Amino acid sequence: MFKKPTLTTTLIIIVGFLTLCPVIMLLLGSFSQDFVSFGQFTTVKYVEAYTDPDFADILWNTVIFTGGSALVATLLALFLAYVNTRTDLPFKFIFKVIAIVPMMIPHILFSVSWVLLLNPSNGTLNRLFMDLFGLTDALFDIYTLPGMILVEGLLDLPIAYLIIAPAMSAFDVSLEESSKVCGASNLRTLMRVTLPVLRPAILASAILVIVRSLASFAVPSVIGMPGRIYVLSTHIYRNIATGFAADFGKAAAIGMSALAASITLIYVYRYLTSESGKFVTISSRGFKPTLIKLKNAKYPMFLIVGFLSFILILLPVLVLFYTSMLPYSMVPSAKAFSMMSWDNWIEVLKDPISLLSLKNSLFLGVVGATIGTTLSIFVSYVIVKVRSTASGILESLSFLSFSFPGIVIGVGFMWFFVRTPIYGTLTALLIGYIATYLPYGIRPISSAFVQIHSHLEESSRVCGAGPFYTMRRIVIPLLIPGIVSGWILMASMFLRELTLSVVLSRPGTEVLAVQILHFAEDGLWGPLSALGIIMIFISSALVILAAVLGSKLTKMEVVK
Amino acid sequence: MEIRIKGLTRNYYSEGKQIKALDNVDLTIPANKIFTLLGPSGCGKTTLLRCIVGLETPDAGEIYIGDDLVWSSEKNIFVPPENRGLGMVFQTYAIWPHMNVFDNVAYPLQTSKTPKDIIRQQVAKALNFVQLDGFESRPATKLSGGQQQRVALARALVAEPKVILFDEPLSNLDAKLREETRKELRSFLTELKITAIYVTHDRIEALALSDLIAVMRAGKIIEIGDPKKIYFNSDHKFVADFIGRANLIKGKVEKLEGEHAIFASEIGSILALNSQRIPVGQDAMLCVRPEFIRLTSEHKDQGQNIFRGLMETLIFIGEAYEGEIRIGDTLLTTTIEPTENIVEGDDISIAFDPDHCFLLSA
Ligand SMILES: Nc1ncnc2c1ncn2[C@@H]1O[C@H](COP(=O)(O)OP(=O)(O)O)[C@@H](O)[C@H]1O
Ligand SMILES: [Mg+2]
Repeated sequence: MFKKPTLTTTLIIIVGFLTLCPVIMLLLGSFSQDFVSFGQFTTVKYVEAYTDPDFADILWNTVIFTGGSALVATLLALFLAYVNTRTDLPFKFIFKVIAIVPMMIPHILFSVSWVLLLNPSNGTLNRLFMDLFGLTDALFDIYTLPGMILVEGLLDLPIAYLIIAPAMSAFDVSLEESSKVCGASNLRTLMRVTLPVLRPAILASAILVIVRSLASFAVPSVIGMPGRIYVLSTHIYRNIATGFAADFGKAAAIGMSALAASITLIYVYRYLTSESGKFVTISSRGFKPTLIKLKNAKYPMFLIVGFLSFILILLPVLVLFYTSMLPYSMVPSAKAFSMMSWDNWIEVLKDPISLLSLKNSLFLGVVGATIGTTLSIFVSYVIVKVRSTASGILESLSFLSFSFPGIVIGVGFMWFFVRTPIYGTLTALLIGYIATYLPYGIRPISSAFVQIHSHLEESSRVCGAGPFYTMRRIVIPLLIPGIVSGWILMASMFLRELTLSVVLSRPGTEVLAVQILHFAEDGLWGPLSALGIIMIFISSALVILAAVLGSKLTKMEVVK
Repeated sequence: MEIRIKGLTRNYYSEGKQIKALDNVDLTIPANKIFTLLGPSGCGKTTLLRCIVGLETPDAGEIYIGDDLVWSSEKNIFVPPENRGLGMVFQTYAIWPHMNVFDNVAYPLQTSKTPKDIIRQQVAKALNFVQLDGFESRPATKLSGGQQQRVALARALVAEPKVILFDEPLSNLDAKLREETRKELRSFLTELKITAIYVTHDRIEALALSDLIAVMRAGKIIEIGDPKKIYFNSDHKFVADFIGRANLIKGKVEKLEGEHAIFASEIGSILALNSQRIPVGQDAMLCVRPEFIRLTSEHKDQGQNIFRGLMETLIFIGEAYEGEIRIGDTLLTTTIEPTENIVEGDDISIAFDPDHCFLLSA
């Protein structure tokens, strides 16, 4: 096949280009006046960006928004993980659902559904409360920092849960037991023993949520911008979105600080997760902790958990579907139900731009995931099987893009694409997508490669099978589940992609999420909801497929 | 089938250093015997095994399997593993996780396009042999360690190869299961009348299973012999020390007496086996195993090979005492019958049987 060193070098060049090109172009761009005078060094954009009188406010908003989201997501995750691993709460399958299902709902649609519920002028929930209790003011204005924090916190809850839950269940229960033997109550034990021991996992979760919310664009654009609350990502967007006066130099200069913050945080996160092994005492005895009996608190507790999963999963879909059937927003009533029709759906399916965006997103999803998966197969092969200094470099390069905020990478790529003929084409989006989401493909495929111990191939050879027969019956069957779930994961990320597309998408290359953002900016909630439900349907189908295949993959792991 | 290896060399390079994994190995493995390669970890056993099956290409040398030359660096011959017709049990068992037991075992027959009904018969026979009847449809991932090991064995045997190779097949089992499986393996292999090459670093496994043991060190074969020869009368100090606990006593050969020799040692003169015919006057080493140091009531002057010493430590371990006896500057370890009536600090007399202590060239 390939000579190994050349394969590794080729991949380093490709992946290196994909991950480093936008960063380098961003850096160079931030020191340029505009696209035309690229390369003539100037610091004027930095001066402009950082002496802007609004900038301090934006920074402050960003700190509150990211920190608040981290707090909400981590506290909720702690609560859920504790209830799941330590109490006798019934129906525990619901926790699995909470951890996976929100990934099916694109962030922009989740945000929109909260706007529909809680916007101050005609949010359904607000109106409902005003009618019921005769209030004159809205119950809760979503277009505020607390509103943004609430929604972003809920969106990042699954991530936080996936970090905290394993730490909670790996935790050595004898530490708690000895505290109780010393006479401490459950609550005291929780505060004095459990939480301090879990500190690294809690910190790691908080930091990851901060990175996520720093890169988040859906919530700041759909909820923040109408309330004139700008954070770094929307501030960057504001500088490039105003058609004729787009200032990519200033956007790059601002982007540099978002990038720096994000890389620093990821570095701290890595440090914490590598240290945490020493901190969390993992019990090898495999004892099940004795579950705390909730007794009378059982049903109230279950209600809380059930309510959380309802607002995370069901509510957004219901709200969107409800809105998609109505000509304008109104509180559920007999009148509302009598006015329901498919008009919005018909309108969307006749709207040429919506159709184009659907077509483009499907194309990007299918073609992008196919190319991305192919690249991931080669990269994973080198990372897992070649094991050299060069393959180590490749591994670091491939996972670097995890720490880059999408909108910043978009600005970096923009500086590159304007100098090439692919500017404003779907190819530009394709390259950007693959560069940003490569880790999503490499993760499952490299774990499939790890599973194929060299002895599995070698024993086939000794059993009388030639190299091709071995490929056909051993290697490929073992790889397929990983490849399929990598493909589906990438395809569903690409279908819903917003942050990168918002920068790179031009007239003619609209994609679903951008079209939805435009609908939101124009207040066209009906068509938006119809298109959104279509999007959720496609992406849920993909995620379910991935989960099924993924569970098959884990079942295949060799029993030690 | 006999296997002949000539001048086999394999070097690895890592971090700029050369490692001689195989250093000019000459070896003949006789047909239909259980032949064990024994040596400390990293001495090149696996490398040798992988060269024989064809998973590794040596730098130089020749390998014959029966009359077929399967590797020759000079004549540029390399027969790939699939055409060598061998069976192998890997250290990890290498059971394919996406197949059930039947497909795992049937695989070697499927590669050679055997008719389906014959495959079914052969698989059933192989599974019966390893006592896994009725496991055909069990998924490979639902097997315990011991069962995986048997499936691996059935797979290696199903195509009825003339040679079967094992790379530390018991090292992944827990201690108790390892002992049981060792016994079973011994009875399987004796029943089969097949050439078996068995790699291990565990001396008890080697002694218990083998017809012949080859002891390796640093890419070289040091000594080949049957288990008793290796244990009771090895030619090399390294081998004597590696195969079991040994007291090594320095001295000089004083006088030859047929098979034996009188050995002037640090603790006195000893009559010992001298199979290597070490000449008079040469420095040598006496090896006596702890279980052959016998307590005696006789006194030194009353017989040959009797010495007086001090019981310095004595630890009761159930089936015996483990003791250390001091004679001058020499400390000898010994195992003593648990019924003996002695305590630490006793003056004692010990005796060596001349046939159970032997001389090694120093
Ligand atoms: N692929 C390899 N690359 C570099 N060195 C190797 C490789 N395989 C084996 N070696 C080295 O060769 C020596 C012999 O290895 P091996 O045959 O596996 O030993 P054993 O099976 O006796 O433990 C060891 O020093 C080992 O480190
Ligand atoms: Mg080995």
